[in-house]
Amino acid sequence: MTGSEVAAVGVVTGWGRSAVALPPDAVRAAAGRRVIAVEPPRTAGERFRRATRECQLGVAAVEALLREASLGPEAIRGDETALVYVTAAAYGSSNRAFIRAIASSTLHFPYTAPSAVPAEVAIEFGLTGPYVILIGGAAATIDGLWQATLLLRRGQCRRALVLAVETFAECEDLWARGRWLVRPPLVESAACALVVPGPWRATYAPAPAPSPLEALARARAGETLACAPLIALALARAAGDAGPVTLTGEWRGRRAGLAWEAH
Amino acid sequence: MVRLRTEPVAIVAAGVVTPLGDVDAFWSGLVTGTDAISRIERFPVDDLRVGLGGEIKKLKRERRGGCRASQLLFAAADDLLARAHLDASPPRVGVVLGTALGGVEEGEKAVAGDPSARRTAAALYDGPAHALARRLGCRGPALTVSTACASGATSLGVAADLLRADAADLIVAGGYDILCRFVMRGFDALRSLTRDRVRPFDRRRSGLLLGEGAALVLMARDRDARGRRLGRLLGHASAGDGSHIAAPDPEGRGLASAIRIALAEAEVGPEDVDFVSAHGTATPLNDRIETAVLKRVLGARAGLIPMNSIKGALGHTMGAAATLEAIMCLLASREGVVPHTVGLEERDPECDLDYVTTAPRAARPRVSLSTSLGFGGCNAALVLEGDAR
Repeated sequence: MTGSEVAAVGVVTGWGRSAVALPPDAVRAAAGRRVIAVEPPRTAGERFRRATRECQLGVAAVEALLREASLGPEAIRGDETALVYVTAAAYGSSNRAFIRAIASSTLHFPYTAPSAVPAEVAIEFGLTGPYVILIGGAAATIDGLWQATLLLRRGQCRRALVLAVETFAECEDLWARGRWLVRPPLVESAACALVVPGPWRATYAPAPAPSPLEALARARAGETLACAPLIALALARAAGDAGPVTLTGEWRGRRAGLAWEAH
Repeated sequence: MVRLRTEPVAIVAAGVVTPLGDVDAFWSGLVTGTDAISRIERFPVDDLRVGLGGEIKKLKRERRGGCRASQLLFAAADDLLARAHLDASPPRVGVVLGTALGGVEEGEKAVAGDPSARRTAAALYDGPAHALARRLGCRGPALTVSTACASGATSLGVAADLLRADAADLIVAGGYDILCRFVMRGFDALRSLTRDRVRPFDRRRSGLLLGEGAALVLMARDRDARGRRLGRLLGHASAGDGSHIAAPDPEGRGLASAIRIALAEAEVGPEDVDFVSAHGTATPLNDRIETAVLKRVLGARAGLIPMNSIKGALGHTMGAAATLEAIMCLLASREGVVPHTVGLEERDPECDLDYVTTAPRAARPRVSLSTSLGFGGCNAALVLEGDAR
């Protein structure tokens, strides 16, 4: 089978712990707040003592995915699971803490790397398969989903996790300067999709206009940058649509599209 | 798992900016064993344990060029475009760049109080890639990969995937990173920087030094390259360690997996590998683990393959490193000589492979393997084929 499909999506946002928790209208629900923050559940254990909020959010999104799919962690452990991580800016808070020397510089520095989030996720769930980290907003997540389908098609994995995390609270003042890049409310989010072999052919191409799902995710979740396409997938699934789906995502003037269609 | 055969991708030409200079100076500096490490002058380092690095002292700045990371990319692009043309429709030309730091220096300035909105946008790690795409007029996919110090390898792999899938006709791919206070403070605090020189695989090795640079290659589908090429990317793979936030897996399992998959994708075996460009950072742990992995994966053949690390000459150029090393592999094939490992004088008994030392070696490798490891357990391997003259 050279096709693929999305088997499950886990979502954690500033609005709540699933896609169902998203308000009908994010702008109205924000009531003027620029940032809707999310506090991830504290992950227990010595290993997480220094883990940053964005790392905890990444772990929380994978846990939400496993709950959604009724799977145990052993189902994804090992070298047959690829991990594709996407973020526009979740490294910003750790960078800022390091620059200002708020955090202990010796032990905090590795957490400033974008690779810290997928590293903590990989350690927590024992993921040792193919590994890609893309930087950018929603268009990069479309690129990441397409990478996941390629890794499956090339036989480099049996399943792929596409994970996105975005945090804003620590850099709210900086985001206020970049108004042309983002539209409030900025909603902190983490989302993870499980892509597996399936019946649909994935077609990747530039998109001239936003898909209905892109518009829906924007309206209900607000600005979630790289998480937006995964939230769109979650909304489609929550509406009972697990079949062919067309996703789009835009960032810095580029809109990418990925359509899962019948062969 | 059933693996599908993948089409090789042509590497048409290369362009770089390094502490040694452009592609020609980079190559001649490697062959002559030039040590490009010097005292860092562009920003204060007096408060750091180590103030040395592979700093680019002279860089042509464009008036509207943006941050230093973008300037490095523009300089490398100028070098590339002096050797090849972007002869495809702009929407069919993409940019895929790897970086460990993106525009973080702009982030330092923004956090320090510079209110410029442009500065804030440039601080995002994908800012320089978009700046390069704009400057080159590329309107195809513009992707930024950040698998730490493996970024410059992963980016070539992602670019190859885009070409094979017909998402673009040409891709400007590669990696870059700058030396700045942020990264010097970080590695200084981790005590990863040596006060000695960089000595990959040497028994006295005591750490790495950082460098800066940008390395770009122009990639095309092999069938479209019409004979003009520096070489081909036959296979690539990445794998995670799932082991530690900053240190490599003690057994190097992710690296071993990446090498095995890349060789399988390239449809070559250990007996076909003529040269290994090692990650070779000169940290005690990296070089020992990397040696053990190569012996495990390549078997008896491992000790017979010439190997080097160019980090003794340039320092660890982070996001640029793996692309620079890939270019070095292809130039070695073209020129019939393998540069030696600057800084390696007394081999570590635990690092007992055929490292090229003291002087460059006459050899014309056809198939090269290039390995990379990065923070967060990111590992990548490239299998390259040179186009011998």
